[in-house]
Amino acid sequence: MSSKKWFALFVATVVVLGAGVLGFNWLVDPYGVFHHKTLSWPSYEMTLNPRAAKMTYIEDHHQEYDSYLLGCSSTSSFPVEALNEYLDADFYNMIMYGADMLDVEQEAVWLLENAEVKNLVINVYLDNAKDYDTLPDPALSYAMPPATTGENAAAFLAKYLFMDPRHSLDKLTAMAQDTYLTQTFDVFNTQTGAYDKIVRDAEPIGNMDEYLEAYPVFANYPQASNDIHEDAVTGTLDSLARIRDLCAEKGVNFLVLCAPVYADYMDYFDWDQVSDFYTRLAQVTPYWDFSYSSVSFEPRYFYDETHFRNCVGEMALARVFGDDSIYIPEDFGVYVTTDNVQEHVAKMAQAAPLAEEDYTAQVPVLMYHHLDQEGNDDIVITPQLFEEHMAALAQAGYTAVFPDELAAYVNEGKALPDKPVVITFDDGYLSNYEYAWPILQKYGMKATIFVIGSTMGDTEHYKDTDYPITPHFSAQQGAEMVASGVISLQSHTYDMHQWGPYEDTDQPRENILPLEGESEEDYRESLSADCQAIRQVLGETGEESVHVMAYPGGYFDTLSQVTLLENGFDITFTTQVGCNTLIKGHPQSLLGLHRYNMNQSVTVEQLLEWVSPARG
Amino acid sequence: MSFTSLPFLVLVGLSVAVYYLLPQRVQWMVLLAASMVFYCVGGGRTVLYVFYTAATVYVAGRLLGRYNDLRRAAPKEEKKAVTAKYKPYRRAVVLFACLANFVLLYVLKYWNFTADLLQPLADTLAPGSQIPLSELVLPLGISFFMFQSVGYVIDVYRDKYPPEKNFAKLLLFVSFFPQMVQGPISRFDQLEPQLLAGRKLDFTDLKYGIQLAMWGYFKKMVIADRAAVLVGNVLDEPWSHSGSVIAVGVLFYCIQLYGDFSGGIDITRGVARMFGIDLAENFRRPLYATSLTDFWRRWHITLGAWMRDYVFYPLSLSKPFGKLGKFTRKHVKGKLGKIIPTSLATFIIYFIIGIWHGANWRYVAFGFWNGAIITASLLLAPQFLKWKQALHINDKSLGWYLFQLARTNILVFFGRYITRAPRFLTAVWMVKETFLHPNLPDLYNGTLLTLGLTGSDFLILFAGVATMLGAEWYQEKRGHIRPMLERRSPFVQWLAILVPLAVLFCFGVLRADYISSDFIYKQF
Repeated sequence: MSSKKWFALFVATVVVLGAGVLGFNWLVDPYGVFHHKTLSWPSYEMTLNPRAAKMTYIEDHHQEYDSYLLGCSSTSSFPVEALNEYLDADFYNMIMYGADMLDVEQEAVWLLENAEVKNLVINVYLDNAKDYDTLPDPALSYAMPPATTGENAAAFLAKYLFMDPRHSLDKLTAMAQDTYLTQTFDVFNTQTGAYDKIVRDAEPIGNMDEYLEAYPVFANYPQASNDIHEDAVTGTLDSLARIRDLCAEKGVNFLVLCAPVYADYMDYFDWDQVSDFYTRLAQVTPYWDFSYSSVSFEPRYFYDETHFRNCVGEMALARVFGDDSIYIPEDFGVYVTTDNVQEHVAKMAQAAPLAEEDYTAQVPVLMYHHLDQEGNDDIVITPQLFEEHMAALAQAGYTAVFPDELAAYVNEGKALPDKPVVITFDDGYLSNYEYAWPILQKYGMKATIFVIGSTMGDTEHYKDTDYPITPHFSAQQGAEMVASGVISLQSHTYDMHQWGPYEDTDQPRENILPLEGESEEDYRESLSADCQAIRQVLGETGEESVHVMAYPGGYFDTLSQVTLLENGFDITFTTQVGCNTLIKGHPQSLLGLHRYNMNQSVTVEQLLEWVSPARG
Repeated sequence: MSFTSLPFLVLVGLSVAVYYLLPQRVQWMVLLAASMVFYCVGGGRTVLYVFYTAATVYVAGRLLGRYNDLRRAAPKEEKKAVTAKYKPYRRAVVLFACLANFVLLYVLKYWNFTADLLQPLADTLAPGSQIPLSELVLPLGISFFMFQSVGYVIDVYRDKYPPEKNFAKLLLFVSFFPQMVQGPISRFDQLEPQLLAGRKLDFTDLKYGIQLAMWGYFKKMVIADRAAVLVGNVLDEPWSHSGSVIAVGVLFYCIQLYGDFSGGIDITRGVARMFGIDLAENFRRPLYATSLTDFWRRWHITLGAWMRDYVFYPLSLSKPFGKLGKFTRKHVKGKLGKIIPTSLATFIIYFIIGIWHGANWRYVAFGFWNGAIITASLLLAPQFLKWKQALHINDKSLGWYLFQLARTNILVFFGRYITRAPRFLTAVWMVKETFLHPNLPDLYNGTLLTLGLTGSDFLILFAGVATMLGAEWYQEKRGHIRPMLERRSPFVQWLAILVPLAVLFCFGVLRADYISSDFIYKQF
């Protein structure tokens, strides 16, 4: 081969290989900067670079939104759904991780000039006093889109065209691994723009020790270097002032919120500098301050060392919009203006945790099943012993409550009785109707029965088989009990607590976990359909609201819990043993509630010992 | 501007294209322009140092040239007188050129080291005083272009060739961009005519240049950059590792250093070749050296040659050394008396070579290590010969050859402990750990996989080193590889383009320490 031919071949090979790599990056577009939809996956792209990918998304969907929420990562926890309701708007959460106020300003200016904006809500986090205009990070994940910075668009795109193609390969791999639940590579909810916290918001939370064990960062808080810099303060306030003025000019509603700061994180700041920052902020704009209050001292209100939970965001927005239907700690949230800023800052310095009994309750739950003249130490108790149990509880001053009352305590802050106890029955046996109901009435107690819908009213045979069954009460009998106000009927699933040996299938559904090899989609459909079915059946008994479930066999996982929440089941019970801690303002304290298994072996003394921590 | 960056490739591509498109008489200007772009992008305002060096050696060269002309023009009988008359001037000019460059080099590269040494003295003499430190940025490749330029002045002094009269052309010699960063240190009479010669496009130059550069990129990016990940993780904090892991770290450092340096030189020579320019060879398969002296003849050849021509010979032939030789031969008996002056010169050379690498005690120690071993081998040569005869060792046998290779490489290996350790004393500690606390299970219990490289990285590295050693063995024993390739079918020749490109891209351009982006936001 002549050298000339060799050279031509070399150039051609380089061109073809190079074009292949660049074309691959362009086609897969893991950062969502090329504006084509071929392999579009906004949640993934936003995870890699929220700054660029969110703008790409808004460019294509701005007609669906008219209001925007801007700021660093803690901004995510102000729920846009609540804002939409309060302001009758369509919000998009533009949060960018690690954002400083310059990023926010650039994004705000772009939005105000390129989209129709009714409301602009800005979150000022205390970190904004630490950093402003941090050096432009060359990393692909932090680059602001050129439309906001004036950077050369070609140079910006070239970075993503010439990047390591493994970024693109990673996206393809992630596509294959994608699941319904959030994973590390798709942390954003595309439609709202907020972090998709379905997993973290489905975890049962209660006991403090267990929480600290699960999230040791709160027990051993890491060292933080929280130096407030004058440059950052000035830069942040100037940026805010410019956004404020632009909003005024365009007639856009402008609202500033200051996100809650975790107390241990606050400790690494110099308080004089902190109060100076908040004081000067008031001179730029009035703001709602949630930064430092009793909430800051409660780790269970935080996802991690710096990010507060969505439930806290709900409380904050309720405070801003005067919604008193949900619980809000008294010292949480102050509207700060130049008039009251001095007083506010002085008061803020005194922030302290609430006393445990002011916002938490201890509630024991009893789990009965069947009553029979022959009790056993599994799930059967004699009517006599059951009556002794009820008598003892009444005697000792315990008040039985429905799960709804727990929910009212948690969500609305409504008081519970001094010594609350929840009495539950699983499966829906006829003995509950025959024996338990009258005894409960006699002692002024009330109970929740978790009914299996598909066997309701089966008195002789298991469903339509010839297998014998312990009799279950009928819808008619259920209706009688509900009407008495003593019994609440709730879900033990419609048909996901099958008795394997009697079912004509290789894979009976004995609990709500997915079957082996079942696709995520099929599973979620099955569970959702089951939720609908049980609701239908129990609705016919006159039960007003079916939203509580006892997991069959006590089994559950994240996907099942998430699916249940999406189907409106916001109170769930397990078979784990122990007393429950309910936390006001924290709906997750109603998930995965523990229960004591009651049978013939449980003496009255044992019962009284178990329920003794009860505190309303 | 790094060799491995896209702008460098663009610069090379553009300048090669423009070079061959323009008339031959102005082609050298393309090289000069490309060199200035290269330096300004990489070094910014430090390009002024290049001008400074070029200016000093230009003036010195012109002055020396004039003296040489005067001497040549003088009638035969006056030649001696003229020579004698100008001798002090000529010496002054050389001294000026050397000082003008080396003093600056000293200030930029070594002043802070000296200041640290002198600070205790200053504390004693004038308590509270602080010797000011230099905050000047060390210009890119300063040691290379200064040595090369001073060599030019000395050659003109020696009347080896006339000086360059065109400043721009001399500036090109000083700053020719492919060799700016890491040499080789070229000689004016070899490089300058090639830089200035006009050329027609010759595709063979392009082909050979590209092939050599690709080979260099392979060594640099596939081998050296991959080894560097482990080296950094182990040797930046040697105290967190056992002796055997440290030894692996040093071994990988040897691989990294050779791959990086010789790979860089291959890229340099490849790029130069694309312009039709042959640069001096700087490495000749040093891993196949049979003695430490042989190693230094094969490793960084142009620095060794520079030292030989401009330091070692002048020093050995100088009057004081002559006197010393006479003195030692008279007063010290045996071989020792004869070799003392050579040994002393050797020590001085290796001291300079050591300190040339950087301002640190460990480089001084490195120079001492090499000087000491070479002197010892000179001294013990007769003894070795006796042993060899007593053991009936055949000089020509493969076994003896392999023994020599192993011996040399082991000596080099321990020398590398010194240059890579954070401090000299740490190097001593590292050697001690290697022998006293090796904890050998670390070599096979998975520890090696925690040092930044995956199993496949080790495989790639192993295959890469084997390829490199295999190719060098072929060159050492058989000769050039290219003719062998050119005899193959066009398809095989195309594969020889495609496969290296694919390997370079997959295992070189795609870095071993790639971090996938999703780790950034693992928290949620």
